[in-house]
Amino acid sequence: MSEPIPAPAPGPQLMPTGVIHDIGYRHYDGPRLGRGHALGALTLHSLRGVFGLGRTARAKIMPFLLAGVMMLPAVVSIAVMAMIKRPGLPYPAYAVTMQAVLAVFLAAQSPYLVAPDLRFRVLPLYLSRPTTTGDYVAAKLAAMALALFLLIAAPLTVLYAGELLVDLPGPPHTHDYFAALATAVVYAVLLSSIGVALASFTPRRGLGVASVIAVYLLSSAISAVLVGVLMSVSRDSAATWAWLINPFFLVDAVQVWIFGTDPNNDGGYPSGVGGPVAVLAVLAVIALCVTALVLRYRKAASS
Amino acid sequence: MNSVVAGITYRAVLGRRRVLLLILLPVVLIGLALLLRAIGSTDEKATVTLMQTYAIGTMLPLLGLIAGTGTIAPEIDDGTIIHLLSKPISRPVIATTKFMVAASMLAVFAAVPTFVAAWLLIRDEAGIASGFALGALIGGIAYAAVFLLLGVVTRHAVTIGIIYAVVWENLVGGYVPGARNFSIQQWAQTFADQISTSGFFKASVGMGFAVPAVLIVTIGSVVWAGQRLRSLSLTGDE
Repeated sequence: MSEPIPAPAPGPQLMPTGVIHDIGYRHYDGPRLGRGHALGALTLHSLRGVFGLGRTARAKIMPFLLAGVMMLPAVVSIAVMAMIKRPGLPYPAYAVTMQAVLAVFLAAQSPYLVAPDLRFRVLPLYLSRPTTTGDYVAAKLAAMALALFLLIAAPLTVLYAGELLVDLPGPPHTHDYFAALATAVVYAVLLSSIGVALASFTPRRGLGVASVIAVYLLSSAISAVLVGVLMSVSRDSAATWAWLINPFFLVDAVQVWIFGTDPNNDGGYPSGVGGPVAVLAVLAVIALCVTALVLRYRKAASS
Repeated sequence: MNSVVAGITYRAVLGRRRVLLLILLPVVLIGLALLLRAIGSTDEKATVTLMQTYAIGTMLPLLGLIAGTGTIAPEIDDGTIIHLLSKPISRPVIATTKFMVAASMLAVFAAVPTFVAAWLLIRDEAGIASGFALGALIGGIAYAAVFLLLGVVTRHAVTIGIIYAVVWENLVGGYVPGARNFSIQQWAQTFADQISTSGFFKASVGMGFAVPAVLIVTIGSVVWAGQRLRSLSLTGDE
């Protein structure tokens, strides 16, 4: 504790004793890149962080391990096509087959995007720049969506390149490939908004991981139980609706309705009104999650 | 056991948002049971499907993960564990106490709702309700011990835990029969099979393997966690 500074003695004869030294701080006069650039930089930084780039070696293990597992079926399929000349895993089935891996990736990585900033209360530092809360949310969502899209699209593209090189009899499945790529965008946007929204509600990483995976496991188990029970009492049309509770099969239903691919479950999806309902459900879930995120950050920014 | 440490741990786990997840999972189980009752499929097969897929296959590992890591991992994460470790309490006693807390929570949030859900559907026909409640209790104890150990050993306990539960037990265990031998939920089903006489349900791991496996995994994990706490390093990686 310093002693109290004595009040300056009154009187005009005393000269001021304090001096401000010029120690060479300079203003920034260069170009300012503005809000759009800040948004891009934050998105790129977050995207790199999702894969552990620019973080410790330990942070890279999990994303690259999971990305490697995502590649496995593509490699095996190419080997199958080359050795025994049979088509491998169909493109539209890729994401549904690997849904557990995608869910684990989403659960493991989305808390990284939002939890540290909330936990160390650095949000005001972002917001003291031209970035707004909306920009922050958009950057984090875009980073996760891009990461998931890469995770699905990379093995699909490798598989397609493999198919072209092996050159099986018959035309290549170009339509299926592009259908699967377009669906990958839907998967990426839907899953990332669910994952980031859930993770943003807790500043603790562990709990964030647990809640994202809990929501996936809950929806898939509820759907599996209902389908199993409804099929066993032969209410098959009700069972086709129960599949849609699982977000992966929901997007698959959208894919079936828009691109006319084969359904990747037992028993198909509800016919007729089912397709539009699935599309509306996907849009509603995305809108709900984004609204929740924006509200969450409006509150976090004001506190 | 140390009652003060136990009290603090209960408050830490039950007083935060964590408890919402702990309540949500059993509530969904009861809700599913009520829904199945409402659509009139209250037979043995439906009950076994609900128990196997949801109660043992999904709810138990998730609750084990949340309760098991939740008793110790947040404290290590934010460094407050040092206040506990600097007290004159033996570290193995701390580990045992935290394990007891996690196991008791699994008994309340997993085993009891499992019994209630099965009982809602078919009372205690063919011993399904009591069988699966016993399986959930024993599986819950083993999960609590393993995930407590994970929480002490690594900062990424929850991620590694879900990879074990989702990828190993559900995905690999679904295709490779040998992997089921090393899966806690299969051991839980073995215990359930001892009481249940239902023809729709058959455990894939023998009792002769499951009993020693549960004992070794539970006791081994708690002892290892206690030893590991004696030389815990608090310097984190991020």
